[in-house]
Amino acid sequence: MRIDMELERYLRPPDREMPPYPAKVITLATGSKMVVRQVFREDVPAILPAVRPTLDIPRDYYDVVGSRVYAELLAWYRYRYRDVFCIIGQIDGLLVGLVNSRMFSPQLGISLHTLAIERGLRIGAHLFAAKMEHHIEYLGQEEVLITAESPIGFRRWMIEYGLELREGQHELGGAAPYALTREMYFDAKHRLVAGERPVPQELMEVAQREIRVASETDIIEKILGARRREIL
Amino acid sequence: MITAYKCKACGQMMYPYHYRCIKCGAREFDKVAPSDSAKLLTYTIIEQLPWGFDERGRVLGVIEFTNKVRAMALIDVDADRDEVKLGMKLSVHWEPVRDDYGEKVYGIVCRPA
Amino acid sequence: MKPVVIAGAGMIAFERRDDDSLVDMLAMASLRAMDDAGLGDHPVDAVIVGNMASGLFNHQVSVASALVDKLSLYPAAAERIENGPASGGSAIKHGYQAIASGMADVVLVAGGEKMREVIGPRATDVVAYMAQPEAEYVYGVSLPAMAGMFARLYMKKYGVTAKHLAQVAIKNQANGLLNPYAHIHMKITMEGILTHPDSVVSNPIVADPLRLYDCCPVSDGAAAVVMTTPEIAKTLSSKPPIEVAGIGQATDTHALHEREDPTDLKAVRIAAEKAFAMARCAPQDVHVAELHDAFTILEIAESEHVGFFEKGEGAKALANGVTSLDGHLPINPSGGLKARGHPVGATGVAQAVELVWQLRGEAGERQVRDAVNAFMVNFGGFGNNVVATVLRRES
Repeated sequence: MRIDMELERYLRPPDREMPPYPAKVITLATGSKMVVRQVFREDVPAILPAVRPTLDIPRDYYDVVGSRVYAELLAWYRYRYRDVFCIIGQIDGLLVGLVNSRMFSPQLGISLHTLAIERGLRIGAHLFAAKMEHHIEYLGQEEVLITAESPIGFRRWMIEYGLELREGQHELGGAAPYALTREMYFDAKHRLVAGERPVPQELMEVAQREIRVASETDIIEKILGARRREIL
Repeated sequence: MITAYKCKACGQMMYPYHYRCIKCGAREFDKVAPSDSAKLLTYTIIEQLPWGFDERGRVLGVIEFTNKVRAMALIDVDADRDEVKLGMKLSVHWEPVRDDYGEKVYGIVCRPA
Repeated sequence: MKPVVIAGAGMIAFERRDDDSLVDMLAMASLRAMDDAGLGDHPVDAVIVGNMASGLFNHQVSVASALVDKLSLYPAAAERIENGPASGGSAIKHGYQAIASGMADVVLVAGGEKMREVIGPRATDVVAYMAQPEAEYVYGVSLPAMAGMFARLYMKKYGVTAKHLAQVAIKNQANGLLNPYAHIHMKITMEGILTHPDSVVSNPIVADPLRLYDCCPVSDGAAAVVMTTPEIAKTLSSKPPIEVAGIGQATDTHALHEREDPTDLKAVRIAAEKAFAMARCAPQDVHVAELHDAFTILEIAESEHVGFFEKGEGAKALANGVTSLDGHLPINPSGGLKARGHPVGATGVAQAVELVWQLRGEAGERQVRDAVNAFMVNFGGFGNNVVATVLRRES
């Protein structure tokens, strides 16, 4: 499809310069090494197939979160969403989860979504922590606004981080906005932020070579934990 | 503050109330007020509280008052949980330990003495 | 008393089962046990359901009557037995009593719980209702918190280390990988849960010193057995009936702080002694055991309290592989509560189902060789109501 660049000039938001998120590797309970790294606009087409199967999974609001993540990634890819960043988790190249977020102003971050594809390994918690790490430590922001669309998210973020309720609304609409401040982040960091840097070269090469995505059936079964239901 | 019960027959100290002594089965007791200091017998730092609490975690312990009454208690150490040690001396207070949708529920709260 | 056997055993996979109601799960597990027993159209005299909290989790009570209805087993007698996490073990005991007394010839005992209908912290709260209300519950104590307080003292007194606890978790999750009915199918490693610095986050503290992987998951599930007399069992099926050789039950103080020695699981000790006395055998005669490892520390402590090992030796036996699948006394070949999962009312029955399979040689990849005597502990409350059972393959 040809794009009318003359019109695009008016429609495309200008993007702010954002310092990069340095990749790290986290050791999971299984002993697996999860590479956590930032991905960019050009990586979006590789990621979308991992999000798509969640659109039909009502459990734990995967459908709501998944469809919004899908739309956010697509809008970012097609230049309709500004100052967005996305961090993914990969085990042996396989995409196991992702988080996205936005730099609203130099001081304020807006946390968008957390999507764990592999479950039961605290991947969502690790990736959410990485997102906060980026906002506070690398983008140098003062505060991140957070909301929750699932009870799991609500419990995890609000209570584990001890967030503060804020007036007004979060950009995603829905539930009340809560804030993570620099101070709260550094108080919680030792409990919630894991990982080592730099990522060993061989691990990084595997991660960068290809963002592998599990099959649609595998993704649904990972999320529903229903792999054995047919026989049992 | 709580009331403990001392068996008139065998001297066994009990809390909470039992209709029969947990040691000898007798049914008559003297009411005993716990002393205002205690020591810590065991504790845990509970990081994932049940529904009904908005805080992240708290220290719960089993204490023994100087007069040998034993009870569970909330150990209030503010931020410094590292200062909690088995056997430590505690001051004992009767304060809210739980908020039941706006209604304060009281219990034993201990602080390092 | 008449001898009593388990003629059939069955269960459904433990996991989060959004699509099945509690009674559906009980019915599915029951059909498996009934078919396994070769029951056909043979009448069932009584249906006993082990369940802790269907009213709270699922807004449904009288689930035993509901199960009779789902299975069209009228006019069978029906009761639900509630003994907290030992509801399943208690239900089997009641089945035993019904047959042994001659009041019933065939009893269906099913255990089940559907906990994932509520979110995790609510489930933790419901389970905490078994604590002493004014002296414990009010403080926000949870079962993991009680286990944490117990673990702190037990570890100090008997030299049990965080590494020992992690070894229980690793062993049981490895066993769970071989059990298609287990909730958790995940191999965990010492590096991942304990030695790597990231384990602070990957395996966070739940109730210090216990961490996430020291605790069983919250599960939905059901299991069932058909109990009858040896004579009737022989007419139903050619499978070897498994004798319920001994059952012991004991209670202890409700509040943890009222126990003279808080590291002594007196009810476990007494329940086991009674079960072994009734079965006329000793802990040394046991070939395979299912212990109630809702928390890793409990597997070690129970293995000592029931008499498998001296106090302080349980952790060493574990570390030396004695309790591994290929060890001298395999403990929790099913993966235990840790990996199979712990739908509270189902657990005691699921332990019996696993042991029936082990004694018959039907346990597949996790089969323990030549087991004749099997033993289980179903631990209710925080050890204030415990049922121990000896099952035996008839020789």
